[in-house]
Amino acid sequence: MAVEQLDIHLVLMMPEILVAIMAMALLLLSAWTHKGGAGVIHWLTMMTIVAVVLVIQVGSGTATTFGGQFITDDFSRYVKVVMCLGMVLPVLMSADYIRGHGMDGGEYHVVTMFAMLGGMIMASSGGFLILYLGLELMSLSLYVLAAWRRDDRCSSEAGLKYFVLGSVASGLLLYGISMVYGVTGGTGFAEVASFLGKPEGHGSQLLALGVVMILAGMGFKIAAVPFHMWAPDVYQGAPTPVTAFMSVVPKVAAIAALFRILFDVFPTYHVQWVPILQLFAVLSMAVGAFGGLVQTNIKRLLAYSSIGHVGYMLIGLVANSQAGAQGVLVYITIYLFMTVGVFGLIIAFDRQGLGENISDYQGLARKQPVMAFVMAMFMFSMAGIPPLAGFIGKFSIFMAAVKGGFIPLAVVGVLFSAVGAFYYIRVVKVMYFDQPEGEFKVTLSGGGFIVVSLSLFMIFFWGILPGDLLAWTGASVQAFH
Amino acid sequence: MLEHYFPILVLLGAALAIGGGAMGFSYLVGPKRPYHEKLDQYECGFAPLGRIRMRFDVRFYLIAIIFIVFDIEAAFLFPWAVAFESIGLIGFIEMMLFLSVLLVGYAYVWKKGALEWE
Amino acid sequence: MMVADVIFYLFATVTVLSALGVVGARNPVHSVLFLVLAFFSTAGLFVLMGAEFLAAILVMVYMGAVAILFLFVVMMLDVDFSMLRRESVRYLPMGFVVGAVMLAELGLMMAHHPGEGLHLGLDNTDNTLAIGQALYTRFLYPFEVASLILLVALIGAVALTHRERKRVHRQDISTQLARTKEDAVELRKVASGEGA
Repeated sequence: MAVEQLDIHLVLMMPEILVAIMAMALLLLSAWTHKGGAGVIHWLTMMTIVAVVLVIQVGSGTATTFGGQFITDDFSRYVKVVMCLGMVLPVLMSADYIRGHGMDGGEYHVVTMFAMLGGMIMASSGGFLILYLGLELMSLSLYVLAAWRRDDRCSSEAGLKYFVLGSVASGLLLYGISMVYGVTGGTGFAEVASFLGKPEGHGSQLLALGVVMILAGMGFKIAAVPFHMWAPDVYQGAPTPVTAFMSVVPKVAAIAALFRILFDVFPTYHVQWVPILQLFAVLSMAVGAFGGLVQTNIKRLLAYSSIGHVGYMLIGLVANSQAGAQGVLVYITIYLFMTVGVFGLIIAFDRQGLGENISDYQGLARKQPVMAFVMAMFMFSMAGIPPLAGFIGKFSIFMAAVKGGFIPLAVVGVLFSAVGAFYYIRVVKVMYFDQPEGEFKVTLSGGGFIVVSLSLFMIFFWGILPGDLLAWTGASVQAFH
Repeated sequence: MLEHYFPILVLLGAALAIGGGAMGFSYLVGPKRPYHEKLDQYECGFAPLGRIRMRFDVRFYLIAIIFIVFDIEAAFLFPWAVAFESIGLIGFIEMMLFLSVLLVGYAYVWKKGALEWE
Repeated sequence: MMVADVIFYLFATVTVLSALGVVGARNPVHSVLFLVLAFFSTAGLFVLMGAEFLAAILVMVYMGAVAILFLFVVMMLDVDFSMLRRESVRYLPMGFVVGAVMLAELGLMMAHHPGEGLHLGLDNTDNTLAIGQALYTRFLYPFEVASLILLVALIGAVALTHRERKRVHRQDISTQLARTKEDAVELRKVASGEGA
C-alpha cells in the first residue's frame, strides 16, 4: 500500500495557526502568572484577533490544501471575519463582568479562542471528517464555557444540559456521516460530490437518510426547531458574555458549513433537503415568535429571538441560490451587531447588580433616556423595523426567497416577523411606559461603551446605506454557483 | 491472522477455568448453614449507622479525565509506530506536533497544581 | 471455519447478556462492571472481524480509562439508584421506540449492502499499519485538530473541577534552594539546668 503524497500549504491556514499558537501561549501565560496576568491576557487576546482579521484579509482567491480538506475562499474568509467580530466584541465588553464573577483566570479567553478556532475550521472544512472535528472543538469549548461559573447552579445546569443534548446531536451527525461514507466510500466533499455526479449516485435512500441525520445534527448546533429545546435554558444559565458569544459564532460556523454541504456536495439531493429545511425554517420562526411572548427573563427572550432569527436565515438556505447565500451573510452580519449590542446592555445592567428580568427595565426611559433609547433601537432592529439594519437583513432574505419561487415561505416569514415584533416592542413598552421601581443608575464599562456604540452605529449605518455590506457579501458568495 | 490470537484464547479459557473453578468448587463442597445473625450486617455490635457507600472526592474525576486524555494520546502512538517506516519525516514531525500540543496541556495541568494531592 | 463461528457466537452472547446486565443490574457498580465485560467481548468481536486496532483501543481506552471514569462518577454522585430505576420504567416505551428505530436503520444498511455485513476485506492487510498510513498522511490535518480537542478537554476539566488548595505541601524548588543556614537554624546557648 503506497503512501500518498500530500499537498501541504500551511500559508493558506495562517489565521487558524495563529489562533492555535496564541491560544496555547496564553494558556501557558495564564498558568504561570496566576491571576496577575489576566489583564495582559485580555489585551493579548484582542490583539490576536485583530491580527487574525488582518491575516485573513491578506488571502485571496480560492485554494485548497491537505487534499482538499481545507478550503479557503471569499466565502470562508467573510465568515471568519464575522466570527472574529463575534468573539472579540463580547470579550471587549465583558472585561469587568469576567473579573466580577471570578472568571478571570485567563483560561476563559483561551477556551473562547478555541471555540472560535473550531468555528473557523468548520467554515473552511472540505470534508466531513474535518467538519466533525471542527464542530467538536467548538462544541466542547462551548460546553465548558456555558458551565464556567461553576458555583452558580444555573450555569452548571446550562453546561450539563448543553453537553448531554449536544453529544446526542454530535452522535446523530456522525451517524449521518457514516451513512454517507457507507454509500459513497469517501468523506471528502469533493469525493462525495463526484460520486453523486455519477449515475449510481442518484436516488439512494440510505444517502437521503444520511443527509437527514446530518441536517438534524447541524440543526441542533444552530438551535433550529425541532432541535432547539436546549437553547432557552442554556442561554439563560450561561454567563452573559458566553451567551453573546454562542448566539453568534456557532450559528455562523454551522450555517457556513451547511452551505458547503448542501450547495457543493448534495445539490442533486435538494429534493430531499429543501422541504426539510423549509420545515425547520417555518417551525423556528413560529417557536421564535410565539415562545418569546411569555418570557420574563431577557436572556430567555433573546434565546427565542435567536431561534426565530435562525428560522429567517434558513429561508436563505432554502432559496438555494447565490441571492439566498448573500441574504444569509447580510442577515448574520447585522444579527451579530444587534445581538452583541443588546448583550452589552444586559452586562451593563449586571454591573449594577440588577437582575435579568424584563421587569427590571421598568421606567428606564425616565431615569436614563439615552440608555433606554439605545435598547429600544436594538429591539426595533431585531423586529425588522425600517430604517434600521434588521430590516435590510429580513428584506434580502425574503427577496431571495421570492426570486427562488418560495413565495408562500416568504409570506409566512413576514407574518411571523409581525408576531415576533410584538415582544420586542413589549420590552420598549416596559422601558417607556411603566413606572420605575427603586433607584438605579446603569453605566457601561469602557469596552462596553465602545461595543454598544459601534453596534448602534452599524445598525443605523447599514439600515440607511447598506450598499457596502451588499457589495461585500455579494462578492463573497461568488464561490457558489 | 486469527491464529495469532489462539494463545490469548487459551489464556482466556484457562483464566475462566481457574477463576470459575475455584469459586464453583468451593460453592459445591463448602458447608452452608446460614442463619439470620450470620447474614446480618456487622458494625462493632451496633446496628449499621449511616450508609455504606461513601462519596468519592471530585479530584478523582479530574485525575481520571487527565488519564483518559493521555491514554488516547498513547493509543495514537501505536499506528504511528507501526507505520513509522512508510510515513517518513512528515509523519515524525506531525507526531511531535501532536505531542507538543498535549505537552502544553500537561505543563498547564502541572503548573495549576491539578496533579497534587494534599 | 468452525472455531471462529463458535467463538463469534460465544462473544456475541456475552456481549448481549452483559449489555442487558448494564441496564438491569440493581447495583450501579455492577452495571459498570457489566459494561467492562461488554466492552471486552466487543473487543473479541472486533478481533474476529480483523479490526485488531479497534479491539486494542477498546481494551485500552474504553476498558482501561472510560469504564474507570464511569466507576468514579457512579461512586462520586451517591445517587439513590433504586429511586431512579423506578422512574426509569416510565421511559421504557421510549427506549423501545429508539431501539426499534436503530434496528430498522441497521436493517436498511444491511439491505443496502447485502452479504457484506461482517467481512470488511481487511483479512490480508495489517489493520494497524493501514490506519497508520492513512491517519498520518491523508488525515494529517484532522489528526492535529484532534490534539487541540484533547487540549480543550484538559483545560475544561481543570477549569471546572480544580480548586486551588491552601494547605498543600507544594514543592518550590527555588525557595527551597535559596534557604540558607541563617534563616533556617537558630543556635542558642542555653545554660545547663535552665532549658525549658
